Amino acid sequence: MPRVQWPLWHGRPCVQVVLSLMPAGQPLVRTLLADTGAGSRGSRFELILEENDCLLCGGFPYPPVNLGGAYRGSFPRYDVPVRIPALGFDQNVRAVGVPSDPKRFEGIAGFPFLNRFSYGNFGDPGQFGLEC
Amino acid sequence: MSASKTVLEINEELARKINEEARQNPQSPYANKFVGIANGQVVVVADDPDEMSRRLRQIEPDPQKCFGVEASRDYDEVEEIWGLG
Repeated sequence: MPRVQWPLWHGRPCVQVVLSLMPAGQPLVRTLLADTGAGSRGSRFELILEENDCLLCGGFPYPPVNLGGAYRGSFPRYDVPVRIPALGFDQNVRAVGVPSDPKRFEGIAGFPFLNRFSYGNFGDPGQFGLEC
Repeated sequence: MSASKTVLEINEELARKINEEARQNPQSPYANKFVGIANGQVVVVADDPDEMSRRLRQIEPDPQKCFGVEASRDYDEVEEIWGLG
């Protein structure tokens, strides 16, 4: 089974996804906090990304979603093409678009996204990975 | 359709109507489906978001003319993001 692992980022688990800038499709790599506390199995989103990334990378809108907790309020949602090349993953994923915040990660991979895969440290406490 | 409305506004309005219909009538063809809208028209009705998105993008490659909706959902529901450090 293909597996990809990334070193912890600032001591936290992360995943790297590749978006595609439209119209030419140049790859845009984003490092996302892997957060099983973001969303639930039935959530209407899988990722939280900067809204500009959603718009520049071919996202089409869904109705907005109301968030509580670390993000509060109504936020737009987009269907965004997302790749993890090492896993052969290439799907359209529903993402919440939030304002840019340089103090934070470039986004969050929520539980519904992580739950598409097997995830964890796979025996290496300095890394986090996905397997499918 | 008003000529002064943008494609996004027209798509949003149709999505709202579809969701209201599906929530009021469980026999609606849209109930519990993922509905893809392009240019103010329903063009895809699918059982899951991946299939809907794939077919919608094939039909209308310009994302600015597309819209998706999960029919029968309560859009007032709050989704929690726990404990972001």
